[in-house]
Amino acid sequence: MTTDPTIVVGVKQVPDDDEVRIDPDTGHLDRASAPAVLNPPDRDALEAALSLRDAAGGTVVAVTMGPPTATDVLEEAVAMGCDDAALITDRAFAGSDTWPTSLTLAAAAESLGADVFVCGEETTDSSTGQVPPGIAAHLGWAQVTYAEALEPEFDDGRLVARRDVEGGYEIVAADLPVVVAVAYGEFEPRPAGLHRKLYAETEFEPLELSAEDIGLDDGEVGIGASPTEVGGMETVEPVERERETVEDAAELADALADAGVVG
Amino acid sequence: MSGEKAGAVDPDAYSDVWVFVEEHAGDVMTVSWELLGEARGLADDLGEDLVALVIGEDVDEVAREAVERGADRALVADDPVFEPYRADPYGEQFRALVEDRHPAVVLIGGTHTGRDFAGRVAVPAHAGLTADCTELGVDDDGLLEARRPAFGGNVLATIVCEDHRPQMATVRPGVFAAADRDPDRDGETEQVDVVVDERDTLSEVRERVVGDTADITEADRIVAVGGGCDGDLAPAEELADALDAELAASRKAVDEGWVDGSRQVGQTGKTVRPELYVAVGISGAVQHVEGMNDSEVVVAVNDDPNAPIFEHADYGVVGDLFEVCPALAERLREDGLVDADAEPEAKP
Ligand SMILES: Cc1cc2nc3c(=O)[nH]c(=O)nc-3n(C[C@H](O)[C@H](O)[C@H](O)COP(=O)(O)OP(=O)(O)OC[C@H]3O[C@@H](n4cnc5c(N)ncnc54)[C@H](O)[C@@H]3O)c2cc1C
Repeated sequence: MTTDPTIVVGVKQVPDDDEVRIDPDTGHLDRASAPAVLNPPDRDALEAALSLRDAAGGTVVAVTMGPPTATDVLEEAVAMGCDDAALITDRAFAGSDTWPTSLTLAAAAESLGADVFVCGEETTDSSTGQVPPGIAAHLGWAQVTYAEALEPEFDDGRLVARRDVEGGYEIVAADLPVVVAVAYGEFEPRPAGLHRKLYAETEFEPLELSAEDIGLDDGEVGIGASPTEVGGMETVEPVERERETVEDAAELADALADAGVVG
Repeated sequence: MSGEKAGAVDPDAYSDVWVFVEEHAGDVMTVSWELLGEARGLADDLGEDLVALVIGEDVDEVAREAVERGADRALVADDPVFEPYRADPYGEQFRALVEDRHPAVVLIGGTHTGRDFAGRVAVPAHAGLTADCTELGVDDDGLLEARRPAFGGNVLATIVCEDHRPQMATVRPGVFAAADRDPDRDGETEQVDVVVDERDTLSEVRERVVGDTADITEADRIVAVGGGCDGDLAPAEELADALDAELAASRKAVDEGWVDGSRQVGQTGKTVRPELYVAVGISGAVQHVEGMNDSEVVVAVNDDPNAPIFEHADYGVVGDLFEVCPALAERLREDGLVDADAEPEAKP
């Protein structure tokens, strides 16, 4: 059925987990303290999308919804091997929770003519995992989440996936078009080629699309269309730990006995 | 559109607290019973009914058990199309029920299954969906307050949905106590219309292989292994034997295939709260620490003195786990700190 599949892969710029600092006064994330990086699970998604193309042909288009500075992650995606990239950017998107975010990405997928939309399992900054099923729901497409391996049976209009489930796995054959969220740690991302890197940094320009370009009204997106609100943020006191270093197993055994957890 | 949100509804038209009971071939995920226990209190606070939603094939007994564990009513959608689980038929059936009956609150376990289809219900309903909550409450106006850790567990965010219904949340396994079973409890079960037709489904499960679904959330002692084990679990297993502890793992050890995913601790695994947690060859990434931070006493064995896990441990040994674990097991037995004659536990 699908001879030249368009594989769209959603990527997001997130604050670097290892560098994130919390403002001790407000308890809020100090975004300025952390450099922005590509959401680590999305690198696996890029790999999954590129290997689908390697196996079945077609094109891979990376897409991100974000401010103009998010082009950095698109450049990374192109350096890794994506054929094209699109930045979905509009002031109207500000304050979007997962509902309008998945609507926006769904509209982008349609505009770009996606047969397969690949995502990472979740982002490290909001970690809801809700956007991929949300995209599928908005579009009425099939979905596979926690995918660990993919087998294109595009000629028969299907994508076959092994998906992780509690205590095991299942093999699912999903009809195209389909949204796939890949399990983190299952697709070893390829390194960016030097040539591609140079091209991405110097020549490449991503497509830039506004809400209107992908057929959305301002009222459908952003904070006004977000059902959830953050009602409050409390700083969680870190658990007090002894943080005692003991020399060896013998001392550890004694410490555990003193703490009353053995003996 | 001043002040009013797109797609807002009249909250008064919605009532009752729903809990999705997740069942696979007759086995119920423990988180469903944990949710029923917690939701019983919420429903009482709101003065509303607690409704269990059971979707599957031949699930009468599951529905009965849901009543025995606190539900006032069980809604049952029973059909071969629902076995095994698939996102689109489950989502579609659930969506239709929500549209028809207007629940105020819908709670779903934060399992791979729950996280897979919750969005397929929330999106068409234009409902707010809060992910992986660890606390639930009701405010003075009767709004659900769904709390979830953010930024690596440093912050607890409270999420509310004022103008949209139902108020939906997925809830982390292991944070609430499971509701007890009372065989004398009364309640009705109602078979609902099945709105899904096999011919309209978008996917097919060709194979489902499920083995170990250990419940590490009940364990008093846990020995957890990480990337440092390098595929050799023997030292950690020996220590677990000596301590009569359950084996658990970081995501790295699960991804490498050394340990089954049902034993994963952390943000995308389970929340555990044992008396003793021994982290063996685990670096201490935020996503891991989030799942073990409620442990009473934490021990870390790691050969890197700068590993973040030491910040989250009561006792740390800087050393090679392949030496430290057997030595500790031996020492515990020698000193009579554990039952030296105990039969070794069956290997997981
Ligand atoms: C979206 C998302 C969700 C995630 N969810 C989870 C989750 O639920 N749970 C989870 O655990 N992680 C989760 N992670 C992964 C997490 O970020 C870390 O990658 C993971 O916890 C690392 O596992 P580890 O510490 O066992 O392995 P590694 O990072 O490989 O660390 C191994 C440690 O062992 C030590 N070591 C090596 N050899 C020895 C030796 N011989 N003796 C003693 N020590 C040794 C090393 O010094 C190192 O500290 C998630 C990540 C993402 C992005």
